[in-house]
Amino acid sequence: MKISFTVNGESMTVDIADENTPLLWVIRDTLNLKGTKFGCGKAACGACTLHVDDEAVRSCSYAVKFAEGKNITTIEGLGERENPHPVQQAWIEEIVPQCGYCQPGFMMATAALLNKVPTPTDEDIDKNIINVCRCGTYYRMRKAIHKAAELHAHRVMNESKEL
Amino acid sequence: MKLKLIYIFVTLSVLGLLFALANTLKISDYEVTGNKSVKVQDTNEDYTKIMDVLTHQRCVNCHPSDHIPKQGDESHPHYFDVARGEDDHGFEATSCNTCHQSENNLNSGVPGAPHWALAPASMAWEGLTRAEIAERLLDKSTNGNRSHEELVKHMTEDDLVLWAWEPGVDAAGEQRALPPVSKDDFKIAIENWFANGAVVPSK
Amino acid sequence: MVDKDKGSKKVSRRKFLVRGGLGTIGIVAIGAYIFRNPIRRQILGMVNSIEAPYTDNTDKPMVWFEVTTDNDIILYSPKMEMGQGTFTGIAQMAADELSVSVSQIKVVHAASSTGNVDSFATGGSTSISGLWNPLRELAAMLRVMLLKEAAVKMNVGVDELTVEDGVISGIKKTLTYAQAAEGVENWEVPYVPALKNKKDYKYIGQPIPRVDLDAKVYGDPIFGMDADMPDMLYGSVVRPSKIGSTFVSADITVAENMAGVVKIIVEDDFVGVVANSMIEAEHAKDAITVTWESHENLDTATITKMMTVGNGNSTTIQKNGGAFNEDDDFETLEFRSPIGAHAQIEPNGVVASVEGDSVTIKISTQVVGITRKEVAKRLDLNIEKVNIVPTYLGGGFGRRLHTPYAVQAAVMSKAVGKPVKYFFSRKEEFQHDMFRPPTHHIIKGKLNNDGYLNTLEHEFVSGDVATDSALLSNALTNFLGADVGAIRGGFIQYTAIPNFRAVYWHVILPFATSWWRSLGLLANTFAMESFIDEMAIKAMKNSVEFRLRQIGEEPIDIRLKNVIKAAAEKANYTEEIVDGRAMGFAASIDANTPCAQVAEVSIVDNEIKVHKVTVALDPGLAVNPDQIRAQCEGCVIMGMSAVLYEQMFVDDGELTPTIYGPYQMALMKNAPKEIDVLLLQGKDTPGAVGEPPLGPIGAAIANAVRRLTGERLTQLPLKLSARS
Repeated sequence: MKISFTVNGESMTVDIADENTPLLWVIRDTLNLKGTKFGCGKAACGACTLHVDDEAVRSCSYAVKFAEGKNITTIEGLGERENPHPVQQAWIEEIVPQCGYCQPGFMMATAALLNKVPTPTDEDIDKNIINVCRCGTYYRMRKAIHKAAELHAHRVMNESKEL
Repeated sequence: MKLKLIYIFVTLSVLGLLFALANTLKISDYEVTGNKSVKVQDTNEDYTKIMDVLTHQRCVNCHPSDHIPKQGDESHPHYFDVARGEDDHGFEATSCNTCHQSENNLNSGVPGAPHWALAPASMAWEGLTRAEIAERLLDKSTNGNRSHEELVKHMTEDDLVLWAWEPGVDAAGEQRALPPVSKDDFKIAIENWFANGAVVPSK
Repeated sequence: MVDKDKGSKKVSRRKFLVRGGLGTIGIVAIGAYIFRNPIRRQILGMVNSIEAPYTDNTDKPMVWFEVTTDNDIILYSPKMEMGQGTFTGIAQMAADELSVSVSQIKVVHAASSTGNVDSFATGGSTSISGLWNPLRELAAMLRVMLLKEAAVKMNVGVDELTVEDGVISGIKKTLTYAQAAEGVENWEVPYVPALKNKKDYKYIGQPIPRVDLDAKVYGDPIFGMDADMPDMLYGSVVRPSKIGSTFVSADITVAENMAGVVKIIVEDDFVGVVANSMIEAEHAKDAITVTWESHENLDTATITKMMTVGNGNSTTIQKNGGAFNEDDDFETLEFRSPIGAHAQIEPNGVVASVEGDSVTIKISTQVVGITRKEVAKRLDLNIEKVNIVPTYLGGGFGRRLHTPYAVQAAVMSKAVGKPVKYFFSRKEEFQHDMFRPPTHHIIKGKLNNDGYLNTLEHEFVSGDVATDSALLSNALTNFLGADVGAIRGGFIQYTAIPNFRAVYWHVILPFATSWWRSLGLLANTFAMESFIDEMAIKAMKNSVEFRLRQIGEEPIDIRLKNVIKAAAEKANYTEEIVDGRAMGFAASIDANTPCAQVAEVSIVDNEIKVHKVTVALDPGLAVNPDQIRAQCEGCVIMGMSAVLYEQMFVDDGELTPTIYGPYQMALMKNAPKEIDVLLLQGKDTPGAVGEPPLGPIGAAIANAVRRLTGERLTQLPLKLSARS
């Protein structure tokens, strides 16, 4: 069956035999966007986190049929080298990643958090950022999240000045 | 002359009989002591069936007395410290819908139903007796301002309630346990129980 | 050809190559004739103190560097990047000797077709220390060769040229390295020139951002799981749930007809499905009924009983002083650690393509050489025809020190005539891990009248670590009598004690156990440093002073004492409880790198909460101090995760749990909000970094809890007794 949605601003239609195929595999294998990762397939680790209509969703547990008409954002769409998202910029400034495999999921979860809570407290971070990182980069991540909040605030401020 | 008297007598008798009949209880209104206990037993049976379902571990899992959803047959606290949040839907960025969708996911084992969320705190059942649960259920100040009619509708038609009978598989691919009463029997019990005045047994 | 007079060799290749010829030294003196006990113990002692240098197969040329027309230099790394920062460190090392900007060095994983195959592995905290000299020598040689060619092209003497950022300058002219290399067919390979002085280092010693930072922040497809090939199909292999199962037969009738299934492959030792998509392969796999032959049903209690001091074969790995009188009045404590899973987030996976008599494999692995051999053997191919293309690893930690899945993927690819991608489900990862073996420790000590230890003995039992990992054969354990991995951290570092002894008991477990980051260090240090603290309490001495007094005077001992003092000072170590928080101290030596830590802990809702950890590490020369700090932070968090939360069980013959959540691990909320890292430099060359910081964290936390609650916790994961 055909399912149409937008990914990173681009409209697309996929033809999938099994409409219950997890969105994760459509993103990775059909659309060849490898930034969103498979870690467990059970919505436990968060490596598959992306945004559906700006909300954080674990794509391994989201049937592609539900994506009909939705706006999907993956790490590739969050920002680019020429124009990084504040979360990515903060991640770079704090040199957060080690092996890097879990990082896109964390960045997407963090971006969703900053959309809702522009200046999260440590407690907000503790409750909302529950992905798993085996390398143990949480210490730097926390610093990066606070920095991202600052950068995000500046960006929002600058953007509203431009209006 | 004698024939006329008989006619009058019969007419009066018939009229009298009719009056008598009209002023007595209908058959069904008779208090026949044998029948009364069967009726109460019916409504208590309905109550028991309903409560067998409502106190089933899986139902209680989403009606916790604290702010923590429970999981599994052994009702462990939801992994990763997921909790009620401000609006029964989890936290701002990591909400119930981050993982739970409107249908069970058979690949991940994550259960799903429309408007997946915790029951409001006023509808907490964990640790309550059956009578206490019934009280919460019937009280408009705790049950979302629902009338009996609305309660019947909620409990026989709401997708999240009915999910209990199609709970899907868990992360290990195992079918989740079903409530001890079938969905149809539950619906009938609800309808009957409310039709009979939603009587909570006094014991 | 070797021109002995000029001391140089001529190499003629299409691509520019540098011939590697660097000598081979193994971890243990393989090939030496070993006598019994004293020498055996000395060799085992060497295991603890020497850092394994780079080992290679030098029979054939290997590609290390390639100069591009953009004047970048591709560095083919035989060591894998799994987060430990090796790519960045070697880029810095190469940049300094090559006199280029570090941004001009493009580090890539060396495919085996380059000939640059590390015959050891990536692991053991040996990459930077092992490549320190060899890589810089190669880079320096390349610099000289390019300068010589430039001199010829510019018609000047080499001595008249200078080079910076890959641009060679003469009096009148400049040439880039790329221009200097252009058109050269025959290169003269010089003697190894003198390496640069420390004062001339531009990049070594600097905390430059890691070279793979952008790739990892922007979601580039760099991992094994991201690999693909054109026309690729998806495979899945049926694995048993019960430990010790052997494949008997399979019923594939239902699966064969399922949607998207291309073929089902039944071999003597496995059943695999190949399908058009990953989900279809998984569904079909679930529909295959396999008959396994399993042995007895094991459970956690049986395993725990097996892992008891006194079982298996024992070796005295360390001994000092006189007899240990069994009648003496010892303080005794017993400790236990559980089965530990690697739980790295990227599952094992591989893409294999068999075309005729050649195979290409893309894989996250720590063992390119071994994987290549195994695939060649199974497919009965010349090893030269098997090309392993390694990728960035989404976590190694020892999990990928054996990746035989490449064999299965290759067999499946051959069967369907197309590339096949195959990876583990998370359940398979948990049940078919090569676990950190459970351990048991009995530590005995006796204080003298001055309140210092007169006698100390550590007996511990473990499953195989190094020797069941396909890296070193089991024969080596028999030869040495001890598993060289399990004994890490098992050597007593308090060498000023008159009498001490360390005894290792070796038990073979019914499931695979192998390298889990730092191997025996985590459990051994937890046991020993908890015991030492307990003795300090008994002796009524400050536990830092207690330790310092009992360490010897060898160079490594001085380095250990320095990190102990540094950590204690930085943390303002105290044995008082302040605002409901206590501090716990611990220190260890691993692979010649000492580390000391102070953990600041409180109890919140009957849970152990770690607020701050102070780390002092002496890794020798710090090539990239920021990355070393990152390794310390990561080890602290990974260590506390293992020590506070992680545990595998055996239930009805199955390893469990099989998913994150039930396998509890540290999350953001559990990580300390403060981690202070101090780096000391006790020697001039870089040493081990990736594993040593895992040692002290367990005991540091347990020792803090001891001060707070009076309870001596002796089992991992640490759990407080229930309080009302």
